[in-house]
Order: sequence, then structure tokens, then C-alpha cells
Amino acid sequence: MNGFPKQVLVVAPHRRFVAGFAFCVALVLCALAPAAVAAEDARFEARSAYLEPVDGVMQLNATLELGLSATALEALRDGVPVTLTLESQLRRKRRFLPDASVAELEQRWRLQYHALSDRWLVTHLNTGLQTSWPNQAAALDHLSRPRGIPIIDAPLLRGSATYEASLRATVEVGGMPDSLKLLMFWVQWQRTTDWYTWTVRQ
Amino acid sequence: MNAAQGSTQATASPARWAWTRYLPVVLVTLGLAFVTLALGLMSRTAADANAFARLQPLLLGVNGIGILVLLVLIGRKAWRLALDYRRHVPGSRMMLRAVGTFAVLAVVPLLVVYWLSLQFLNRGIDSWFDVNVRQGFADALTLSRSSLSLRMGDFLARTEGAARELSGESETGVVIRLDSIRRANGAEEMIVVGANRRLVAFSSSAGAGALPMLPGEDVLMQTRQDRPFVSLDPTGDGGYGVFTAAPLPGRAPGEEPLVLVGQYAIPDRLAKLAEGVQSASAQYGRLTYQRPYLKGTFALTLTMVLLLSLLAAVYGALFWAQRLVQPVQDLIAGTRAVAKGDFETRLSLPSRDEIGYLVTSFNEMTKRLALARAETEQSRAAVEKERANLATVLARLSTGVIAFEPDLHIRSMNAAAGSILGVDPEQTSGLTLADASQLNGWLGQFLDRVGERLQAGQAEWREQVPIHDEGSRRELMCACTALPVVGETAGGFVVVFDDITTLLQAQRDAAWGEVARRLAHEIKNPLTPIQLSAERMRRKFLGSMNEKDAQVLERATHTIVQQVEAMKGMVNAFSEYARAPQLVLEPFNLNALVSEVAELYRAGERPVVVELALEAGLEAVEADRGRVRQILSNLLKNAMEALEGTPAPYVQVSTRRAEWHGQPVVQIEVVDNGPGFQRELMGQVFDPYVTSKPKGTGLGLAIVKKVVEEHGGRIEAHNGPEGGASVLVALPLNEESRAQLGTRETRKSEPRRERA
Repeated sequence: MNGFPKQVLVVAPHRRFVAGFAFCVALVLCALAPAAVAAEDARFEARSAYLEPVDGVMQLNATLELGLSATALEALRDGVPVTLTLESQLRRKRRFLPDASVAELEQRWRLQYHALSDRWLVTHLNTGLQTSWPNQAAALDHLSRPRGIPIIDAPLLRGSATYEASLRATVEVGGMPDSLKLLMFWVQWQRTTDWYTWTVRQ
Repeated sequence: MNAAQGSTQATASPARWAWTRYLPVVLVTLGLAFVTLALGLMSRTAADANAFARLQPLLLGVNGIGILVLLVLIGRKAWRLALDYRRHVPGSRMMLRAVGTFAVLAVVPLLVVYWLSLQFLNRGIDSWFDVNVRQGFADALTLSRSSLSLRMGDFLARTEGAARELSGESETGVVIRLDSIRRANGAEEMIVVGANRRLVAFSSSAGAGALPMLPGEDVLMQTRQDRPFVSLDPTGDGGYGVFTAAPLPGRAPGEEPLVLVGQYAIPDRLAKLAEGVQSASAQYGRLTYQRPYLKGTFALTLTMVLLLSLLAAVYGALFWAQRLVQPVQDLIAGTRAVAKGDFETRLSLPSRDEIGYLVTSFNEMTKRLALARAETEQSRAAVEKERANLATVLARLSTGVIAFEPDLHIRSMNAAAGSILGVDPEQTSGLTLADASQLNGWLGQFLDRVGERLQAGQAEWREQVPIHDEGSRRELMCACTALPVVGETAGGFVVVFDDITTLLQAQRDAAWGEVARRLAHEIKNPLTPIQLSAERMRRKFLGSMNEKDAQVLERATHTIVQQVEAMKGMVNAFSEYARAPQLVLEPFNLNALVSEVAELYRAGERPVVVELALEAGLEAVEADRGRVRQILSNLLKNAMEALEGTPAPYVQVSTRRAEWHGQPVVQIEVVDNGPGFQRELMGQVFDPYVTSKPKGTGLGLAIVKKVVEEHGGRIEAHNGPEGGASVLVALPLNEESRAQLGTRETRKSEPRRERA
């Protein structure tokens, strides 16, 4: 009670009722409003991707367009982490049968503002490696250009076969507990790009 | 089969009800436990958002199960209540009102608590994001940064000092000296990088196996501009490192620029403090972002708890209302059963409160009612038995009994009274004397006399009451007495009477028979000597007397002989009347006999028209032909004598078949156009020596009646509507009908004779 502002205690009863009602309405509206992970007018997609053999390993390089909304950026600045999940698949095309899955990989990064050091930390959750960036733009730029992600050893690919790779990214803001996300299932806690698919040239 | 089913249900029901009886209690207990658990969880989570997030599924599960259970229970009870209300089951309206009242009493406080809880929730969560808190976090960060900035400045100065020390060294010298310089400056790692991030020298406290962490292009670009670089980097394990970079001064133009990069560790204590501030700030930032959602989930959970409480309150209202109304419903059902006459209804004692007292009183009342009804039934059965006995006695009684109300309405009349008075007893019940008198002439005469007595205030009397109509006369011996007054039952009067006509007639017949026998015996004997003496005197003295005396003697003896002959005829008539009946029954043609007798009277001196109207089919009438001839002769003679002085005398004799008391009879009717019977003699025309004719002996119709009764028939005398007399004789057609009619007459007359 000591933490309450003094003016709250002298609010008239009918004002309290109105305030309570308004609070309820606001709660409902807030709860029903989707969390703006990405700006509606900004691009949110996988712009390009390719596989290249490096030292006998097919490595993935991609360029993403992660148009985060102002709300998400504001949340980032408040210390709310943003998680990027990159899902990639490599399939061997078959003529009469469904395509055969050759490799599937999921890579996750977390972007978080470190207020004390005023640095933007990007942590590769699969390996635990962490890099820091002096500003948000640099960190986001780093995050949107994943490079050298190993997918499969090149010798494992058949020379005569045709391969198709797919990629999609998911951004989630908030780090909300799963139980809360389950409870407020109608809220858009994350946003996912469409699959970006291309034919792999060996 | 039904009884078996019923007994099966009766034995199965208690077990089933034992389940359903305790099921609501168990469910309510579970529901209350869920509510309590939910409220406890809510109280825990209100202070700790993480705990809320952790316990949220459990909270929701508990609430969901509780709400589901309560919804099932409430739905079941509400459905039953709605059905009862639509069917107008007694007590359903009362229960509905009770449920409504209880529900309102429970729901309103809950809603108030809900509103207050929302307010509290709102203020509580908002208090987390108070301006002062935010500012406090910002100040703490600033303070931490200031503290760390001193360290960072110090580490940068060390790196710049080390860079100056290495400035004059060749690359080999740099490699040689770098490790000692790193140690001297207390750095964790030192790297010397050339152009294009070329690693020139590397020294680390981690040993030779450690990999160098090359600086980024941004760091190199900044140092190339001769601007040192310093940054604070979290190490990921809760520690902090200071990353510094400074160019090696004094490099000649064209010579590859070298940059010394040094990494230093923040002391653990300081790093821990700084990390605490950082994580608190980050946590606060996350909460700021999660604020509306936390509010929403809190409100949602609170709403679920409230819903659970509301449903529990409504179910409690239903449960307690039912508990409250159930005894009243039982009482209503019991009262209805009693109203329908079921006094065996007993209600179970619900409790020992006022309702229990009421139920006990009700059970006592029904018990007493049942006892009273049993006693009443016994009394009524006894009364009915007595009444049936009395009715049987009265019905079998040949004595007429009529009961009158105190206001002289006829209360009841037995069958014998109806038979004597010629009326249906059922018709007279409840009638006044005046109304009943209209039913029948005999009844009217009888009631007139009774009414005179009773209206005169005479309750106890005895009298012989004559009643008559044009054809017959009856004598009734009446006795009246007052009925006792029992309780509220009015007394009234009862009149008992007997038809003593037959008795009197028998007495008269017996007396006249005796007279006739004595006359025949005492008078007839001297007549012959008188007649013989008179004839002897005439023969002896007629010749010896002079003419004048002879004429006197002749007239005197003639008169004596004539009168003796007349007296002989009279005595013979008496003898005929008194003689014992010895019928000689044989079939004969009645019409032929009638024609024969009528022909005798047609041939008489007087010009009387004798007309016959004979129905065919009477050729074999079983009777005493001689007696029937006597009947016809007497009736025709009586008619001829009555027609003296009548202009255009006329006699009609008719025969026909008819039925009397269901038996075939033959009717002989003799009708004349004479003066008819005198009205004052109508009831006595068949009595001996009752006559209106100057020459009649008064025995003709008496003998006819005697002969008719000897045949088992009946005789009636009437006056015609336009004058003249009519005598109707009905004789049994054969022996069988005579036996039936004789039995009937015997039955009818025997009791009276016995009483007489």
C-alpha cells in the first residue's frame, strides 16, 4: 500500500467503479490484441539463400528481412529477448515417390539488449557462442545474415540427384512463459516467414 | 409381475438413493476444496509473477474441473426445478424464490469482492511499474556503469601503456614481450593484430590451447583512426570482461599498423553486483513488456475463480433451498393425501427444529384421524348392519310402517305399507302429507286422518281407519307413537298399521254362516208342520164351513202356505250361503253357459234387452259349472230387479280373457243401465243383508262373492260414469292359475290372520 500514489486513495467511489470497468475493458482489449511481433507494413521474409561447399561441407548462407515492429523494438530496448529460429531442410527430389528428406536443421539465436554494458548481445543457442554489438541495427543485421551454417557433408550428396532446399525463419518476442502463451492462445506471440525453397546446384 | 417389480424397486431404491444422497455432499466438498485451492494459488501467484506462470496450468485445471463439476450439478438441479415448476409441483415456487434469494445474497457479495480484487490486481501490477521503480532501476544502472567505467578507463589506460611499450618493438619483439606485458597489466588476454585482422601475437592466461578472440572490423576501424576502443562485455557465465583496443603508436608511414587488443576481467564481487543490477533491470523490462498480458491472465484467472465461486454459491443456494423446502413439500404432499382420505400418511422426521416439530404434529394428527376414522367406520358399520336388519325386518313385515319427520314429511315407508296403500314407497320419501295425498286415493284418506291426529298434537294414539274407493273398502288398524330424539337427530313419528279388512270379512262371514246355519236348522224344521197343518185345516174345515168362513179360511191357509213357502226359500238361501264349499271343477264352455242363462231371462215377462258380448276361445274354462251358473243367475237376477221402473232397460253380459297378477283369468262383466249402487253402500254391496231393493234379501251378491272367492277369483262393483251398475267377476282360467292365485292370496292373508 505504501507504494500506491496518494491520489489513488482519494478517488471517488463512482470514479473507482468507472476506472475498474475501464480497466476490465482495457484488459480484454489488450488480451485480444495480437502482439505486434513484426510491423504490418514491413517486409518479413527470407530474401535469399544458397548452399555452398566449404571444405567439403555444404554450408547455408541466407539473407533475411526481419522487419520488427516498433513495439517489438521497444520491447528489445527494455531488455525483452527476441528469438530467431531458422529451420532448414534439404530434400532429394524423386520422380514418382515423395521427396526424401536428406537433412533437417534448426538453428536458434537470441538477441537481447544488455543495459549495463549498452551492448546488444546475440547468442547462438545451439552452441552458446555469444557476440556483442554496439547497436541494435548492427545486431539485427548480424542476425538477419546467417552465414556458414553447416547442413551436410558434400560427399553425401549424389551427383546425379536433384536436391531442393527450404528455409524459413521464426521470430518470437517476449520470452513469455509457455503456460501464459498457452492460456492466451489467441495472441500472436511469434511470426514466421513463408518457406523459401530453391534447387541446390552442386 | 408388477408386485415383483415393485418389490424389486423398493429394495433397489434405497441403495441407489444412498449413492445419490451422498454424491452432492462429496461433490460440494470437492468443489469447496477446489475453490479454496484456487484462492490459495491465486494468493501465492499475486505476489510472484513467476509463481503465477508456473502455477497457472494447475490453477486453470483446478478451476476448470471445479466449474465443470458445479455446472453438471447445477444443471441437474436447475433442470429438475424447472420441470417441477412447469408441472406445478407443490413447493417448487417456494424453492424458486428461496434459490433466487440465496443466489442474490451470495452473488452480490461475490461480485463486490470480484470488483475489489480487480482493483487490487490493477493497482498491484501497476505498482510494479511505478515511475520511482523505473527510475530506481535506471539510477542503479547508471551507478553501476559509473563504477564499471572507472575500471574500464583503468583497463584502457593499461592497454594504451602496453601499446606504448610495444611501439618500438619489431613483430618478433612484440611476440616475445607480449606475454610479460600481459601479466604485468593483469590482462586475461592480449592480442596484437595487423592489417586485415592478421594475428601478430597472442597471449592468454588460459594457456597455449586457448583461441584468440579477434576484434571486429568496427574496432579496427576505430583504432585506425587513432581512437582507442573500450567496451564492457558480459561473458555469458555471469561475469564481465572489458575489451580494450589501442593502436601501437610510432609506426612509420607505410608500415603495417598494429593494434593491441586487451581483455580484462571484472572482479567477481563487482561483476556479481553488476549482474544483479543488470538482470533486475532486464527482468523489469520483460515485465514491462508482459504487463498487459499478465494483467489479462490475472483477470482471466480471477474471473475463473469468481465463476467457480459463483457456481458454488448458486449450487449451495439450490442445495440449501432444496433442504429447506423438502420438508415443506413433504408436508404439502401429506396434507393432500390426508385431504384425499389417506390417514395412514406418515412423514419422516427431517430434524429436531421447528419443521421437525411441525412434522411430528402432523404425524400425530394423521394418527388420531386414522383412529377416529376407524372408530367411525366401526360405528357406521354397526349402524348400517342395524339398518339393514331393520330394513329386512320391515321389508318382510306384513304390517305397514310409515315414519314421519317432526315436520310431518314422510321419512320412509316399508313395502307392506306401500302394498296396503297401493303406492310405491320410493315415491313417497321426503314428500309432505299434502303432496303424498295426491298420489293415491287410499293413501290420501289414510294420510288425511294421520295428519289430523298429528297436527292436533296427538303423538300416541290408536285407531281403526276405514279407507275406500268406488269398488272396495278397507279397514286399517293404526297405531302411532313418537320416535325418541337422539342427540341432534330429530325424533318424528312412526305409524304402524294393519289391513284388517280380510279379518273383519272373515269374522262377518263366519258370523253370517253361523246365523244361516242356525236359521236353516231352527226355522226350516217348523215350517213343514206349519204348512202341513195349514193345508190339513183347509182340507178338513173348508167343506164344513159356510161360504163366507170358507173364503176366510181359504185366504188364511193360502197366506200361511205362501208365507211358509217364502220362508222356505229364505231358509234355503241361508242354507245355500252357509253350506261348506265343495267345488266340482271341470272344463266347460263358458260362453255357452252364459248364453243359456241369458236366454232364460230374455224369455221373462219384462221387456229387458239382454245383450251378449262373448269373446271366442273360452270353450274350456275349468270351474264348477253349477256355481258359475249360480253366479250368472244371481247377477242377472240382481240386474233385472234393479231395472224395475227403468225405461228401456238394458243388460249386457260380456266375457273376455285377461290377466290378473300374471295369471290367465276369464272376466265376466254384467252391466245394466239402472240406478246403480247407492254411494253409501259402495263398500258393503257384497255384505249379506245389504240391499237397496224393497224385495231383496241382500244375499244375492254376498253369495256371488262367496262363490267367486271359493274359485280363487275376485269381484268388483262399480257405478258407470253415465249411471248404471257394473259387476266384474274374474275367475281363474284353469287349475294352475287358480293354484297360483290361491297361493298368492294365502301368502297375502296368512300373516294377518295369524295376527288376528
